[in-house]
Amino acid sequence: MAHILLVEDSPEVSLSVREILTAAGHSVEDAASGKEALVRLKGSRFDAIVSDIWMPEMDGIALLKEIRGAGNNIPVVVISGGAPNAPLTYTAPLAATFGANVVVYKPFERAELLKAINTALSP
Amino acid sequence: MGPLITKPQTPSSSSPFDDRVSAARFIEALPAAAIIVDEGGDVVAANARAEDILGCAAAAAIGRPVDGAFKLFLDRAIRAAGVEQTNFVQPFGVGWYMIYCFPLQSGAVSETWRVIAAFDITAMKHAEFEIRESEARLEEATRIAQLGTYKIFWQTASVQWSPHMYVIHGVSLDGFRHGVDNYRNFVHPEDRETFERIFSDQLDGKALRAAEYRIIRGDGSVRWLRLDARVLFDADGEPYASFGTCQDVTEGKQREQELKQLLRRNAILYEALDASPIGVAVVTTDRARPEFFYANAEFERLTGYNTSSLSDNGIDSLRAHPGGADGWDGVLRTFATSVSGAFELACTRKDGAIFLAQVEVAPVRDYPGREATVFVLNLRDITLDRQRAGQILQSQKMEALGQLSGGVAHEINNLLQPILALSDLGQDFADTDPAKVRKYFEVIASSARKARDVVRQVLTFARRDTPQLAAHNIAGLVAEALNLLQSGLPPGIVLQQDLHAGEAIALVNPTQVSQVVLNLVANAADAMNGKGTVAVKLAEVDLDATRASALTVAPGRWIELSVADGGCGMDSYTLSRIFEPFYTTKVAGKGTGLGLSVVYSIVAGWGGALKVESEVDQGTKAMIYNPFAPSQHATSSSD
Repeated sequence: MAHILLVEDSPEVSLSVREILTAAGHSVEDAASGKEALVRLKGSRFDAIVSDIWMPEMDGIALLKEIRGAGNNIPVVVISGGAPNAPLTYTAPLAATFGANVVVYKPFERAELLKAINTALSP
Repeated sequence: MGPLITKPQTPSSSSPFDDRVSAARFIEALPAAAIIVDEGGDVVAANARAEDILGCAAAAAIGRPVDGAFKLFLDRAIRAAGVEQTNFVQPFGVGWYMIYCFPLQSGAVSETWRVIAAFDITAMKHAEFEIRESEARLEEATRIAQLGTYKIFWQTASVQWSPHMYVIHGVSLDGFRHGVDNYRNFVHPEDRETFERIFSDQLDGKALRAAEYRIIRGDGSVRWLRLDARVLFDADGEPYASFGTCQDVTEGKQREQELKQLLRRNAILYEALDASPIGVAVVTTDRARPEFFYANAEFERLTGYNTSSLSDNGIDSLRAHPGGADGWDGVLRTFATSVSGAFELACTRKDGAIFLAQVEVAPVRDYPGREATVFVLNLRDITLDRQRAGQILQSQKMEALGQLSGGVAHEINNLLQPILALSDLGQDFADTDPAKVRKYFEVIASSARKARDVVRQVLTFARRDTPQLAAHNIAGLVAEALNLLQSGLPPGIVLQQDLHAGEAIALVNPTQVSQVVLNLVANAADAMNGKGTVAVKLAEVDLDATRASALTVAPGRWIELSVADGGCGMDSYTLSRIFEPFYTTKVAGKGTGLGLSVVYSIVAGWGGALKVESEVDQGTKAMIYNPFAPSQHATSSSD
């Protein structure tokens, strides 16, 4: 089972994703923004990151840049509801460009997310 | 008519007049009144012509001392310093006389007799006066006409000037030595050739008509002179001189020059107006109805009329129905009240076609504050502009729709996520962990409610539902809305109310008023991080043309609702995007980014305008301008 960093600003979304992951046996730590995620990354060792894109302070793309820029190859699953001022289809290529391993669109089924985590974790 | 000259003679024994008889015979032959007096002053002889002056018969005067006029003549002659023979002009009675007085020596007697002869020269004197008078009259006439006269005598090339010539040339009567070489010094360097031709033409015996050249006077002033000359002939019919008049026409020339410049200016202005891409017309209103005084080429092209055919029917030419109620009424009102104005109205062409016109009217005032009777009227065909603006509006709508769908999708997706995941997971724990499931249900319900609110906001923005507008006391509604929201504000926020709109009635929807107030106050409170003063102000204001056009509303009286905070403010980039739906700087769940978009669309629905001013770290002020309801009767102060 994996230790996962969940980065999501909406408390409701954060709750539902954490519940899916913990029910599947993963352990989860929360962060409400990219900035907070960077702090958590320094404190603990994670197997994977599940991150939203559109967040205040530091969004998911900026977080990806930081992580990959620092040479960290930790698997990242991006969960996206689309950006407010950009078409939904814009998110996937953007995330892929900056090093996301898998992109999952909200609202997703439990199985979709778990499959994405597995894909990201498998070498 | 010389007198008889008698040579001075030495006294001799015999004389031509050795007796009184021959002396009397001598003077009788003179064509003058004459007497002879002896040394003692007694009259020796008198002729018949002398009787008028003597006042008695000639015979009666003889042997008596000379008296009367002849005594006067004799005394004056004797006073003439011992001159033996003298003559002078002497007025007497109604006539003039030339008096000759000379001695008549008698050889027989050693006494000297004197002849006193008075020749009547009255007629000659009168003729002389007449000549002098006519000369004076001519001089006076030429002086009044500012006319100098001159003569050029051909033989000697000498010149004679009338006094006014000296005035024209700015020299004193003795201050100029005549001669063409001296004269050339007066002539303006640019006109020397002209002058030489004029001078030689006169010497050639040619007449001059309105020959003009410039002189420079001693004081440096430049004057324009005009010469007219003709040839004079002598008694034998031979030409001998040029006689000319000379006039200073400088003032006339200057006026002519000014007139030329004025005409040129006018011509340029007319050309410029005709080249203008905007229709320009000048309307006069000093008659019973406005008349077209001028219309430029573009105005004629736009309307199909020329100025004169426009003059026939005035403004009615451009209306679909003469005298009918349409947008032109506003234009006519500006004429009546001497104000400027801008209008969009239907303009009818001569061929009957109608175009959407933008008309701007401005009074042309002779004096500030005086009522204008002349107006300038700008006319543009904005039909195409409108169509283009419509296209732009359409593409903006499509863009907004894209943003809207993206934004709605983001919001709804985020809210569906917990609903979908937790309703699935909840089934796993239905039997084992009812507390967890209850928690799931709470989150599911609140997410669903939020989703519902998003849809409602979107619908308001899209104005799918058109709320009923009614006349309400705006101050009452605002006060009530503030009352309701006060309890929900963070404790650090002070609400400062300043509602001064009195009984102002606006056509609004009460729910929308509270929505607007709520949104603006919530934004203000958020901007100050829950600590500070939000000032809500309601007032009646007058928007002048500048402010009104910035807000794209008509100038006049409006109800202003403003909400100001001293918060973080916005930079110009953020400020430019605030009306975009779903644009937000707030964290997810704290704002949908629809607030100001909703306020905007509500206010637009009221026929009002919304303006937001902001400066980083200084604060933000949102201002809403609402029109007054057509009638000042409220259905209720609030509801």
